[in-house]
Amino acid sequence: MDFDLNDEQRAVVEAIEALLERHAGAARAIELGRDGGYDTALDAALEAAGYGEIATDLGLLEAVLLVEALARHGAVSGSAARLLAVPAVCDAGVPGPVALMRAGHSGPVRYASHANTLLILDGDQARRVTLRPGECPAVPSNFGFPMGRVSAECVGRGEPLGQGRGARLEDAWRLGLAAETVGCMDAALAETVAYLKQRRQFGQTIASFQAVQHRLAECAIQVEASRWLTREAGFVASGSEAVASAAAFALDAAGHVFAETHQLSGAIGFTREHDLHVWSMRLHALRQELGGVGGHRRAVVEARWGEALEGEARGGEALEGEAPGGDRPR
Amino acid sequence: MEFDWTEDEAQHRAEIRDFLAEELPGDWEEMAQHGPGGDAQAAFSKVFCGRMAARGWLTQHWPIEYGGRDASPWRHAMVGEEMWAIGEPRGAQYMNVNWIGPALMRYGSEAQKAEHLPRISAGDVLWCQGFSEPEAGSDLAALRTEALRVGDEYVINGSKIWTSYCNHADFILLLVRTDPDSRRHRGISVLLVPMDTPGIEIREIPSVVGERYFHEVFFTDVHVPVTTRLGPENEGWEVVGHALQFERVGAARYARAAVTLDRLAELARERGLLDDPIVVDRLGEARALCEAARVLTYKVIDLRAKGSPPTADTQLARVLGTRADNAIGVLALEIIGPEALESGSFADANFRLAMTAGVAVGASEVQLNLIASRFLGLPRE
Repeated sequence: MDFDLNDEQRAVVEAIEALLERHAGAARAIELGRDGGYDTALDAALEAAGYGEIATDLGLLEAVLLVEALARHGAVSGSAARLLAVPAVCDAGVPGPVALMRAGHSGPVRYASHANTLLILDGDQARRVTLRPGECPAVPSNFGFPMGRVSAECVGRGEPLGQGRGARLEDAWRLGLAAETVGCMDAALAETVAYLKQRRQFGQTIASFQAVQHRLAECAIQVEASRWLTREAGFVASGSEAVASAAAFALDAAGHVFAETHQLSGAIGFTREHDLHVWSMRLHALRQELGGVGGHRRAVVEARWGEALEGEARGGEALEGEAPGGDRPR
Repeated sequence: MEFDWTEDEAQHRAEIRDFLAEELPGDWEEMAQHGPGGDAQAAFSKVFCGRMAARGWLTQHWPIEYGGRDASPWRHAMVGEEMWAIGEPRGAQYMNVNWIGPALMRYGSEAQKAEHLPRISAGDVLWCQGFSEPEAGSDLAALRTEALRVGDEYVINGSKIWTSYCNHADFILLLVRTDPDSRRHRGISVLLVPMDTPGIEIREIPSVVGERYFHEVFFTDVHVPVTTRLGPENEGWEVVGHALQFERVGAARYARAAVTLDRLAELARERGLLDDPIVVDRLGEARALCEAARVLTYKVIDLRAKGSPPTADTQLARVLGTRADNAIGVLALEIIGPEALESGSFADANFRLAMTAGVAVGASEVQLNLIASRFLGLPRE
């Protein structure tokens, strides 16, 4: 066990932080968000730096650290799918941006309006669709991501990616969701703490009231636990249980952190001039995927006490390697 | 950053489980239903800890010079998880090895180390902690029990409350005010007081938690030598602050909660409750919570293993650990239903021990205060 970054990981994190300082941030997210835009320039910069899908030979944990950082910087990029989902189910050479959806899903799909590739989770199958430009019409949304609507015809073109790929896609998607959620919660809480430290009411800063402090402390517990569960899941990589636990905890925490950061920020938190919405609104979009909190919790139960859920067996292999062994903590 | 066990650590967990399977008596579960303070469990703990000590496991994370093996804190944490998960057969001695011993190593005189550390390491001594008082609960610095210096002795008068394990303890690690004119954190000292010293009286406070769980301890003109003082006179607050950083994650409550949860899931399956999506949702939520508490605790152990100074990570882990314990305690009542109401039942025993979690060793609200100031850097009111 070692909770500190090793040299290689530190180099990756420092490089991505420097890149995101230049290419991402709340102002960029707000600018792109006005007309549902996608940050093609950021994706190009990531590709050039070796953090696109094709060039990367990162481990899953390093990819998790990248996705967490991208979300913290408000990146408008489907990099979570490219860094995690694509390598789990596809060979190299998948054109991005990549959108993810479940078979039978109705409603807007994150990044579909700009995606060149669509990966579809269909039970224990995964399917791939090459999208035509403009094929998925943009759907206006206040939830922080460009969205598109995917037609039934488009879904029908999905080519199977091989037996058992469904479970792999689901785990990778879920891990990415957890990592994105951690980044968004982290930034939303930091923004709120910074604001409440300087905003004065009743003759003192709002952050100095104990009633407020306890609520922020509760949020900090939620964010930190989500962060370390997700990083651990990225390392373990061999078990749906670790991934599902991370997502179940993080996406639940997301609801709490959304409510608390907005309540404590007051009316300014609802405005476009204040940055909180860049991260907070995304939290609820992230909570829509893979069945939401309930879906992640069910995945925990299936992975932990799998045989207990008769008729619900999940086919296929895990993300890679063996399931967690007996030496895992109980 | 990596989240793996070494081969040695993985093997150690298996060894511990084998050891527990061999050593625990057939009626262990019944014996453990009142927690580490129960009479039967306390008696068994002395035998059990002796056997652990014989294997070199009881204080393996201590330095060799004090009876340890210089083993990684991870191995000791693993022992803590396995022991707590099964009901803590070390009894109150988990406190000895977790923080009383380390506090003695850090602040004790050579004579104190020589007197106490070998006994703790051998597993034949029980300690309790005399912190809380009727007027000093969460506000520990308001304590009033005084120890006035008279020549080479302190004369102790006052009382402690909520003291667990004192009915079996050989010593009490006692927090007293040695400067009667002092206020708050100044003027406090720590004394290592034998429980058979004349003038000490114990009264049990009956509670719903379990037999012999809480006590009051009264000190009336108790004379102890000045040499029983741990650390500098009037600077005991620092000693205790250091000690509590170990204590707050000393009991692996998440590990017990996780084992209980596995059992609940099995029960739910047997009763056909897994057709109920609400039950599935609750089980998944609870498992994620146990895992979250575990990983935050591991972060604290990582700091300890690297010799880093304690941080507010301890408080983050502590609060979540108590939440996990509480949540699974309640979930057990809900899944088991009315049968849980019979005294001594699995759910009843588990619930009673879990219900103290957010109050013991500093209420969660105190931990939240510390997270606010130390982790988030929020200003004082």
